[in-house]
Order: sequence, then structure tokens, then C-alpha cells
Amino acid sequence: MRASAVPLIDRRLLQNVDWPLLGASIALVLMSAVTLSTLHVGRAGGTVAFRQLAWFGVGLMALLVTASVDYRKLVRAAPAFYVLGMAGLAAVFMVGKTVSGARRWIGVGSFSVQPSEIFKLCFVLMAVWALTSRWARPIGPGTIGFTLVATAVPAVLIVKQPDLGTALLLMPVLIALLVGAGTQLRLLGGLLIAGVSTLPVAWIAMKDYQRERIMVYLDPFRDPLGSAYNVIQAKIAIGSGQLLGKGIAGATQSQLAFLPERHTDFIFAVFAEMWGFVGCLVLLICYALLLLRGFDIAASAREPVGRLVALGATALLATQILINVGMVTGLLPVVGVPLPLMSYGGSSMLVSLIALGLLLSVRMRQFQ
Amino acid sequence: MRSFSPPPSLADRRDGGRRRVTAIATVVLAALLVIIGQLWYLQVLEGGRFQEASDKNRIRIRPIAAPRGILFDRHGMPLVDNRPAFTLSLIPRELDRDVERRDAALGRVASLLDIPYAELLEAVTRVPPDSLGPVRVRRGLSLEDVAKVEEWKLELPGVIVEVEPQRAYPTSRFAAHLLGYVREANDEQLKQGRYRRGELVGQTGLERLLDDFLRGKDGGERIEVDAMGRPVRLIQQTEPHPGAQVVTTIDRRIQEAAERAMDGHAGAVVVMDPRNGDVLALVSTPAFEIDRFTGAIDRTAWLRVVQDPEHPLLNRTIQSTYAPGSVFKIVVAAAGLQEGAITPMERTSCGGAFTLGAWTFKDWKEGGHGVVDLHHAIAQSCNIYFYEAGLKIGGNTIGRYARAFGFGEATGIDLGAERFGLIPEPKLRRDKKQRPWSGGDVVNMSIGQGAVLVTPMQVARFMAAVANGGVLWKPRLVQRIERPDRGVVWSDPGHVNGHVELSPVVWAFLKQSLWAVVNDGGTGAGAKIPGLDVAGKTGTAQMISKSKAEKGQDHAWFASFAPVKDPEVVVIVLVERGGKGGQVAAPIARKILNAIFFEKVASVDLAG
Repeated sequence: MRASAVPLIDRRLLQNVDWPLLGASIALVLMSAVTLSTLHVGRAGGTVAFRQLAWFGVGLMALLVTASVDYRKLVRAAPAFYVLGMAGLAAVFMVGKTVSGARRWIGVGSFSVQPSEIFKLCFVLMAVWALTSRWARPIGPGTIGFTLVATAVPAVLIVKQPDLGTALLLMPVLIALLVGAGTQLRLLGGLLIAGVSTLPVAWIAMKDYQRERIMVYLDPFRDPLGSAYNVIQAKIAIGSGQLLGKGIAGATQSQLAFLPERHTDFIFAVFAEMWGFVGCLVLLICYALLLLRGFDIAASAREPVGRLVALGATALLATQILINVGMVTGLLPVVGVPLPLMSYGGSSMLVSLIALGLLLSVRMRQFQ
Repeated sequence: MRSFSPPPSLADRRDGGRRRVTAIATVVLAALLVIIGQLWYLQVLEGGRFQEASDKNRIRIRPIAAPRGILFDRHGMPLVDNRPAFTLSLIPRELDRDVERRDAALGRVASLLDIPYAELLEAVTRVPPDSLGPVRVRRGLSLEDVAKVEEWKLELPGVIVEVEPQRAYPTSRFAAHLLGYVREANDEQLKQGRYRRGELVGQTGLERLLDDFLRGKDGGERIEVDAMGRPVRLIQQTEPHPGAQVVTTIDRRIQEAAERAMDGHAGAVVVMDPRNGDVLALVSTPAFEIDRFTGAIDRTAWLRVVQDPEHPLLNRTIQSTYAPGSVFKIVVAAAGLQEGAITPMERTSCGGAFTLGAWTFKDWKEGGHGVVDLHHAIAQSCNIYFYEAGLKIGGNTIGRYARAFGFGEATGIDLGAERFGLIPEPKLRRDKKQRPWSGGDVVNMSIGQGAVLVTPMQVARFMAAVANGGVLWKPRLVQRIERPDRGVVWSDPGHVNGHVELSPVVWAFLKQSLWAVVNDGGTGAGAKIPGLDVAGKTGTAQMISKSKAEKGQDHAWFASFAPVKDPEVVVIVLVERGGKGGQVAAPIARKILNAIFFEKVASVDLAG
């Protein structure tokens, strides 16, 4: 049966809403708001928490709209989304705003939109479209080649902004989709070898500060006041939280502003300082729950498009979570990747909630 | 066709997809477990270490310098005080992180204040770059310098002007050797571990000797700062304990008068109270500019002082020895009278020369003094009389009396680094038996020449013993040390080093003769003050044998006390290469005595 033309009226759809998924998400957003409310960031002051909640409200609407639309329609329209997304990326170069050395934003009225964030979704849909189209099956070198090109072109555009973090996300998501689409392991192995062999090229193509970040990752005390400052301060913040945390008032690393980027990319360190290992465990369990529900939706989907859409959305969130927490805890080099639902930022919040909307959409329609 | 071909089992395909999704989920979960492991490591295993690191981040300790104790004179006038002074400091944490821009700022400071650039760079590099403690670069900035720094303030992040207590002296060279200078702990002192870098430490004189008392105990503040180093709140504060106050025996008025009287001469003055050994003034010239030594002196100024051929750092009152010249005749007279080797009745004809074997010893006066007795020999300082007397008395006896009067040994004054001088003994032969005195040695010794060497402080103690009837006081400089909270923590009641027992008649005779030196046509007439009975003895110490030395290369001595009846002060004046004692040293002593007894006007206030 086809999806109802009238959204949100079909009772059967509502019966299949994934409440644990939504519950975990709301819990995370609340934790984010509490954390943000303790930070006195720049001119925005305490309003950061409210803005985050406002964006959550906007995102929730987007989630509802997304969930109400049949994801198969969205996948069919993927090429159009993809072209629009690419146009957004290109627009950044022409009318983009430069913030701390990077052109990532486009001003829309009083807001700033980050096209590279939005593009992540277009990319997932495009990849699913490519892997599930009739011409692409069975998945062979041609299909893989097509998806690689469809990944590489925007990735280059995003790296040029520069926004290495977002560009780096695309590859793991594509690999997850290729695996999920049933690509032969032999082909995946070949892809992996090809990927590793291009690493030296990547090193040459990197900007100086990016190379420095990797050097710092290998040796954090290389430049404790310069490039390694973030990593060291984040580790101090997390570590000093100890088992139970310092509470809000005692969280000196974040309250006294030793921790940079504390409301955006490094918000996990703030949370870890305040609530300690136990708090981190609660937070990570929420994320684990969210991701496991996402994978469950993918696994339970009855047809490939639904499975891949769910897998893509989940992989997108999982990659961001792992890279962000990995870098903040010093396991990975520092790349600018926000923590979904926690980091302050409208575009990120919107994209995370739309991804959740896609998951809900697949879940609601799994029995159709 | 397609619709008929059996589709690959839907269930199979779905199971395959399921397995692959499960595999991906497993990878993600494994990664989450790695992260949890890392959190366990950071927060639980290493949590304490990071807690310390975060405290180190936010807590700064700012020392509050304890004001150094003040030295007072015997009447409660300050000899040295503290005054707020401007210090140029660098705060490494607040300097520009960009090395090029930082160096440009340092270059600007160097040119503004005329400080060598290398000195600034060295100051910055010797401490960790994130330290918040100020590194003192230059103390004692002028108001003009401060204005220049303030004017450029915005371009000079991390460059600040601090207000610190600094030593202040009544005049630039005031009592420089007595007080001593205060400077930042040097590398050697830092190695001992007793001082912190940048801490002010007394380096010479009383400042060094009493450093532990004067220094006090620094207080400090534990301050919470934010990432920009801005203080957020005070966590804890410890009040500094100021240093102890020292009451010396010095009389500032006399010290100043003595310094004025010595102006332009190299030499030494000691003024002592013969009744208790109190040192009322202690002057060594040329003096160094003590105020320029305070804090961080620049290298060129330091080298200029160290390489000065006049040795301004030398404390001539105790660290320099001189032949006493005719001042020593008092010892010879005392020995001869007490031992009965000479009497006041005996006379000698002085023809201006004295022959001993192949040697001829001359009197200082061409043609001699004619017929003289002991009294006149002292008053006129006749050498010929004392050559003969010395031979009668003998070298051993003279040496014994000289040592009894404290020559050849330390006076024990609380300044340290004192020289002992020398009272000669006959040279030892190879078999270690004493060789008998040679006549020439005895003759030379009789007029305080030859190998005899004394310090002005020893002469002061000796002259005090002559004035007080034989009591050898240990020169006293410090009366007591008081702490604001605990009262007197140390006091010196005065110590007697020894007694010289002479017949009262001998004492009376000596005083009478010394009075005649000044008041009855003697060599010390230049010290005569109408209305004051001054007693004294001139001395002219030949530096080298007269044949080679030019005239005016002799050291001029005048050792005096007054009033003769109940002596209150002993004044010793030595002028290096001054010429004759009576012509050069005696008038200086007169100025000092005049100031002591007749100019009872208080001097200018400390530090303007």
C-alpha cells in the first residue's frame, strides 16, 4: 500500500511511532539545554540554552514533516535534493560568511545556515537512491564508482570551506550504506586498500593547521598554549570530573573559560566535568539507545530502500557521535564535528532531528 | 521474463541485510565501549591528576612582599627606610603568544626605557611561558619611565609597572658600608635554596648580617583566575609579617657630620663611645652609591664600581690594614712606663737622625726636636726618642702590650669579613727557635712602621681603652632587634674583650701627653677646639720606603678622644695618601668633634 496522501491522519502510522527513540532524543536535548544554561558564552549569554530549545522546536516540526512523508518519495527525489545541496555548497563560496577563518555559513535573514550540515542529509538520500536504483543492481564496481564520485565532489567543496570534519563524515556513512546494500566483501576490501593508499595524498592536500592537529594528536604537549591547548584543556576538564563530577558551580574548566569551543564542539567535556564518569555513562547510554533503535529500524525494514535510509541516518548520527566524543576524549585528532543534539547550533540540531524523522518514517511504514 | 524468474528469496535477502546491519551496529557499540574505556581511564584512573591540573589552571599564588625591617639610629632616627618604588615587570602568561609580536613589544620596551633587549629576552625565557608571576626586569623606575610605559600600555600586553617597597637612604652614599646593599638573590644564593628568584636579600653590611631578622615573612594570595588570567575571586590570603626593626648604636647626626668631613678624601672614620664601645659613626670613603645598588643594578654600573681603582666596596674601617705610624707611640710609651724601661724624667737629644749599625733612621723633622722628654716626644711626635725607647723596652714587650691593646686580632664587630692586622714577631729560624729581634725591626716598630698593620676599628678600640682606663670593648653596632608582634627578640648588652692593667699614674700621664698633642704646641694642633679638651695623637704612615715614594703618599692618622676628663667620644680619622696626620687628619677630626659637641641641630629628614 502506498503512503497516505494525507499526513499524520493514518492511525496505523501513529501506532508505530518509536517512542524509545524519541524519548532518548528528548533526554539528550534536555541535557544539552541544562549544560548550555550553565555557560556564559560571549554576547549571547544565557540565551544560548533558549535558542537551542527554540531550534529544537523548529527541528521537531521538521521531524514531524519528515516522518509524515513517505521516505520512498524522498529517495526518489534524491537527485534533486543532491543538486540543491551542491548548489548550497557552491553558494557558500559566493555569498558565505567567514567566521574564524572558515566560510561555512550563509546568512538567511537573522539566521545563518550551514549548507554543509544540510548537505549530509541530501548525501544520504542520494547514496540510497544510487544503491537501490534498478540500473545500479547488483552492486558492482560501476555503482561503487558512481557513489564515490558523488561523495568526492561535494567532499572537496566542503574541505575547501574548510570544514574537514563534515567532509570526513561522508566516507564512513557511504561505507556503511555499501555494506548494508549487500556489496560483496571482496569489492569493499579493494575499496579499503584504495582508500589507505590515498592517505599520503590527503596529507599533502591538507592545510597546515590540519596537519598540526594531527601532530598534536600524536604528541599533545607539542605546543601546550597553541594548537594543543584545546586537547589538553578538554582532557583536564573530563579527567577532573572524576567519578561523580564537580557539579555546575565547581566545573572550573568550563565556568572559568579554560575550555574553548565549550558550547559547540567541546560540550561533551563540559558535561563530563560537571557530571563525571557516571554522568557520561548516562549520556552515552542515551546515545547507544538512540543508535540501537536506529539499527533496529534498519534491520527490521522489509525492503532495501527503507533499510538503507534508516541505516544511512543512523550511520550519520553514529559517525558524528563517535568522532566528536573520540576527539574530545583525545582518542582522535581534533576535527570540527558537532555532537548531535548536544552541541549548540541550529543547522546541526535541524539535521539531527530530520535524520530522526527519517528513522521514524521508516519505522512507521515497516509493515506497509 | 523477470516476473517469472524466482526472485532471490526475500527472506534470505532480508536476513543478509539484517546480519550486515547487526555487524555495523556491533562495530559502533565496540567503538562506544572504547570511548567508555577512555573515560574510565581519564576520569577514574587518572582523575586525581587531572583534578590537580585543573586547580593549577585556575589557582594562582601571588606573593605579597613583607616590608623589610627598618634600621634606626640610637635616637630612633631611621638610617634606612622603605619607600614605594616602581618596578617594571613582565607577566609571561599575558605576553603576546605570537613570538614575533612579543619580541616587537619587548623591543619597544627596550628602546623606551633604555634596557638591553637581551636582558628582557633572557628574563622571559627563564620562566615557563604560562606563568602568571611577574618577572622583575628593572627596579626603581623614574616617574618619567612609568609615564612612557603607561602611554604605550595598549601595545604592550604583559608589561606592567608594579609598586614595591624599596630601600630608601637619606643620601646616595649614606653609611653605605655600614648598612650594606640589598639586591635580588644571586645565582649562588638561589642554589642554596633559601631564597626565591627575584627576592631581595641583604648582600653586605648589616643588611646581610641581619638579613634573617630584616627580611620578614612574605604573605600571599591564592586567587582563582579565568582563562584570560583575570582574577575571579580571592580564595585565601596570608598576611605578610614585616621584618624586625633594628636599633643600632649609630648616631645619624654624627654619621652625617663624619661623612661630610671626609668628603673628597679616601679613608675611614670611626666614632666610638669609650664608655661602652658603641660605634657612633662608621665611614669608609670613597663610598658606593648604595641607592643605585638596590634592586637590580645594571651591569655597566656594577662593573664601574667593581673595577674602580679606589675600591669603593671595601669597608676601610675593618677590611683594610695600615701602618699605625706615630699613633703606635702611645703603646710604646705605655709599655715603657709600665715596665719601668723609661721614665718621664729621662731626656734625649734629638738631632734629626739616629744611627744603628750601618743604618741611619731619620726624624720626620729636619734638624730634629732638640732635647726632649717623653711628654714632649709624644706631643711633638719625636721619632728619635722612640727609637731609643723602643730599643730599651724591647720588641717582645712592645708586641705584648700591642696585643694586650687588641692589635693583631679581630675586634669582633658585627659586620664580618674583618681583617686582623699584624703585630710582628721575630722571624722563626729553621730550628723553630725564635731569633732575637733585630735592632732595625724594633726601631721601626717603635714608631708604628715596618710590619705593624692595624685597622681603623682596632685603633678606635685601643683609643677607647686609653680614654676609659684600660677597658677593651667589643665595638657594638646593634643595640637590639624588635619584632612588631613579639617585642625585643635580640639584644646586645655590650661585651668586654679584655682589660689592660696599667698604673693610674701611667694612664694619667698618657692622657696628659695626648692633651698636649692638641693643646700645647703638639702635632695635633689642627684638632684644637676652644672650650673643649681634645686629646689625640697624629700619625703619618709611610706606605713604602721613603726613598721611592713621593711626598703625599703617606697615610694620615689622627686618633683622638674628648673631653679629656671624662671622655665621651673617640674619633679616629684615617686619610689614605693624605700626607701628614697633623695637617690632614686632625682638621677632619676637629670638624667631627665640633659637630658632635656643638652642632646639636637635627639634620634633614630621610629621603627628602
